[in-house]
Amino acid sequence: MSAGTDELFGVEEAVHAEVMAEAERIKALGEAAEREARDPVNQPTINNWLEAMGYDDPRWKAGEAPPSMAQVWTMYGLGGKPPADDPLHGMMRVLTDAGFTAVLGTNCEQEYVRTLRVGEQVRVTTALESVVGPKRTGMGVGYFVTSRNTWYVGDEVVATMLFRVLKFVPRSKETTA
Amino acid sequence: MTTTLLEPGTTLPEWSVPLTPTIIVSTAIATRDFQDVHHDRDIAQAAGSKDVFMNILTSTAFVERYVNDWVRSSTGEGAVVKGIAIRLGAPAYPYDTLTFTGSVESVEDGVAVLKVTGSVSLGDHVIGTVKVAV
Repeated sequence: MSAGTDELFGVEEAVHAEVMAEAERIKALGEAAEREARDPVNQPTINNWLEAMGYDDPRWKAGEAPPSMAQVWTMYGLGGKPPADDPLHGMMRVLTDAGFTAVLGTNCEQEYVRTLRVGEQVRVTTALESVVGPKRTGMGVGYFVTSRNTWYVGDEVVATMLFRVLKFVPRSKETTA
Repeated sequence: MTTTLLEPGTTLPEWSVPLTPTIIVSTAIATRDFQDVHHDRDIAQAAGSKDVFMNILTSTAFVERYVNDWVRSSTGEGAVVKGIAIRLGAPAYPYDTLTFTGSVESVEDGVAVLKVTGSVSLGDHVIGTVKVAV
């Protein structure tokens, strides 16, 4: 039995098939788009972060970085762009082109294997974990896209993150989906 | 010492962060997140948002700080945070107040699981599950 139009919430079957085919292709890339942090884990960046958060713990002045800074080290920076082979942004582009133009972060799940130490050079990979949909949500009809980042020091995994966004057609524009 | 603090049912004292434009912008930049909706009000409003709003890395950071500050003020030593999972809800805008509440849900296999909620006037901004080694 093929999926009825009700289950697709107005998304054309051909569009849905294309989205899911692209999802499978990008998932098969596995951990991709590896990139190095611009700088090693460093005290001035930790200090700026602590000041902004109003966060004070002498541990973060003694050679360790706060665990939730893991992602900070590999941010793209001002004007930085994801590489063409980035699985998350590749999937986002597929959905944008299919009319699901809006984006909303819904979940972010970070696991810390250990704290990072000042001087360590971090790198990160990105994999597409899953694409689920279409779903009707309060925001509009869309797909939940989940990516997995893995941070390494050398060959050691130091932290991971599952990040989920909803890529959707804003409700007022749903008829164009 | 943290083993006696981190008991199921223990509640954390409420903690409030009055949100200013400076906090929203300085935290976004300190997390190296330069998306314009976190620092440029004109662009944020043109995109349909009421104002600039807190970025996700900062929501996670405040959850870490809330739990760590509580453990540290109670025991003298900070928490060993092993994981922070958050679900995002209402946006956190300047001139609102972000108020955290939390409790210890379970302690198993050397890991305490805490449930933390950060609310703003529009509702829950962040619902977090924090794993702390005991």
